[in-house]
Amino acid sequence: MAVNEIKPHVEDILDILGDESKVSSKEIEQELKKFLEYGVPIEQAKQTLIKKYGGSVPFTASSSERTLISDLQPNTQSVNLIAQVITLNPKEISVKGETRQIYYGIIGDESGTIPFTAWKELDVKKGDVVEISNAYTREWQGTVQLNFGDRTATKKTDEGKLPKNAFEPREHKINDLKSGLGVVEVTAKIIELDKKDTEIDGVKKKIFSGIIGDETGKAQFTSWHDFKLKKGDVVNISGGYVKTWKGIPQLTFDEKAKVKKLDSKTLDVEKIQTQFMPIDTLLEKRGALDIETEGTVVDIRPNSGLVLRCPECDRVIQNNECKTHGTVEGKPDLRMKLVVDDGNGSVQVNVGKEITEKLLGKTLSEWQKIVESSGDESPIVNEMNNVLFARRVKLKGNALGDSFGTTVIAQDVSIIEVDMENETEAFNQKMGEEQ
Amino acid sequence: MNREVAWRVFASEYNDSSHEIKNDAEKTPSYVITPLGAKINRLFIVGVLTDVERVSETGDMVRAHVSDPTGVFTLYSGQFQKDVTDSLLAIDVPAFVAVTGKSRTYKPEDSEDIFVSIRPEKVVEVTALHRNQWILETCQRTKERIDAIVEAKKMTQPNPMDLRKLGYNRNLAEGVVAALESYNSIDVSKYLSLIQESIQFILPSSEKLPDLQTNIEMEEEKPQIKSEEVVIANKIKNESEIKVDESEKKAFEEIENTVLKLIKDIEGEDGAPWDSIIEKCEKTGLDKDLVEEALTSLMDKGLIYEPILGTIKIT
Repeated sequence: MAVNEIKPHVEDILDILGDESKVSSKEIEQELKKFLEYGVPIEQAKQTLIKKYGGSVPFTASSSERTLISDLQPNTQSVNLIAQVITLNPKEISVKGETRQIYYGIIGDESGTIPFTAWKELDVKKGDVVEISNAYTREWQGTVQLNFGDRTATKKTDEGKLPKNAFEPREHKINDLKSGLGVVEVTAKIIELDKKDTEIDGVKKKIFSGIIGDETGKAQFTSWHDFKLKKGDVVNISGGYVKTWKGIPQLTFDEKAKVKKLDSKTLDVEKIQTQFMPIDTLLEKRGALDIETEGTVVDIRPNSGLVLRCPECDRVIQNNECKTHGTVEGKPDLRMKLVVDDGNGSVQVNVGKEITEKLLGKTLSEWQKIVESSGDESPIVNEMNNVLFARRVKLKGNALGDSFGTTVIAQDVSIIEVDMENETEAFNQKMGEEQ
Repeated sequence: MNREVAWRVFASEYNDSSHEIKNDAEKTPSYVITPLGAKINRLFIVGVLTDVERVSETGDMVRAHVSDPTGVFTLYSGQFQKDVTDSLLAIDVPAFVAVTGKSRTYKPEDSEDIFVSIRPEKVVEVTALHRNQWILETCQRTKERIDAIVEAKKMTQPNPMDLRKLGYNRNLAEGVVAALESYNSIDVSKYLSLIQESIQFILPSSEKLPDLQTNIEMEEEKPQIKSEEVVIANKIKNESEIKVDESEKKAFEEIENTVLKLIKDIEGEDGAPWDSIIEKCEKTGLDKDLVEEALTSLMDKGLIYEPILGTIKIT
């Protein structure tokens, strides 16, 4: 912040402290600068200084200055915004046995968009431009979250209060789509397409969903309007917003969006393929659709190998006892749960029957015979250890993030024969060059 | 909560560690901070198993050593992980082994130093190929840590946020900042030469790698060894890791929520007595073991705590 930008804040502070205060504007300016150098948000720095010099922090923030969404910092006490409501959804939660109505959604201004949660009744509609005062922010999983609490005031205002470009879609690559983005524009190919009938408030509706992709990655989409999309089309979709499910981005749009069919040459469709993503990137995104990654098998979880599943719900059961369906005759299956780790991050990998058979070189029924004749599971356990433990593997599949971490549902697993000679030489050379 | 990453560190860097982040009241995991900023709760090593020895009177606890090009890792495995202990005892030394394990520390009462060891979670006999791959990978990861330390030292106020902007992941960024705060001086050149020596082992042009590093320093053979075992054994006891099948996690989460709700209902000012929680939960059809598991897990997550033994409160 330049000196002339700091000045008004210094005056704000002196105003509140009043004439009796003996502190000079120079002192305030120096201290304020120091806070800012350390990255303390301006509002918090001001409040701290006011308290330090005996002033009382006013109930409303000392400044009614408007903050742009892109400038929001986590853990700020009071922020004022002018923004358009892009999505708005009610949600019922139960607090101390009482049901409460909260709202969540996305708002946007000319600088960007952000998800919000309102802990109070909201008297605004989707599409409204609103003036918000006294909202506050928190940090959640490394992103800024905007909250409207009891002290927050929201009121509908003129569209003219926002510059025109606030309503213009912003172009994104698929890989950059993340939860809370609104008014998004993407150019992508429809890779998969499904039609589903659904009923909302008694009205029958068709929804169109599937997978879109560009040269940076793939995402799911849902359209609430029939844009006559066809599988294989290359389209420009303008005016959607983004939600995520288990870390997988979902682009959602309705009749207000613009969808243009483009010449298929607009996109280098050859490049729309499975993208490689290192494990730590995957963990930061929490999940992703159709990716490749690699690491070393550092654990093979219990219950890998031969298992029995409930014939009703397909869940793995112990002693022919299903938690939901009682005593059942288990259906044999072969699967593995691996932990794959590259030293920077760790994912669990669920491996189904076909891939397990391929990796272990024997079919389910062959393993059943072997285990039956040996009387215990040790042959298959040893084989899993020999073939996989401490080996580097390449994985392909969808990655889903939840509160226990990220799990890759494997569509393929293969063991990497590391080219030790070349990789070692390359590393050694790099070390030499840096010396 | 992501699963703790299995760090790749050479024995020399691990054994040089003299700082740790201790868990407070079981709410957060403990970490060993190495001089290069690895923040280790779990690690993955491949090396030569040189000896396995029963150390406790009853023979439940074994100590083993695994050697890499830079030094020796010490492993302790006890009765609470009989499978691992048995597999260690079954291997004829010397042999190449791959080990995934948890970091452990021991601090003698009248000393400022800490001793680090590993509690293995899984031990499997492997081949020289696995070992060579591990050496290469560990060289690469160690180099990344050195680079991150060098970058952080350039900053006036090293912080994880700015390190992440340079492309370092969260674990490493936090570890590097913790290392700079913990260690007065970090001798980066020592670890650079460590990498260079290690890479010589696997360079195709180099002499064949001597299979075993024989100069094991038995520095652990100190009179404190008895108390060390007790400390480690106690820690193992305290660790009630719940091994829940993935498909059961959802169901278990629901149980946790039920238990949490129930505690909320009965805790009042003084907290909820353990016995009444169990009793109330049993009435809703939950099995006692499950409830105790849920309570331990809730404690690990920091959602509840035990102000007085036998009394639970919500945080």
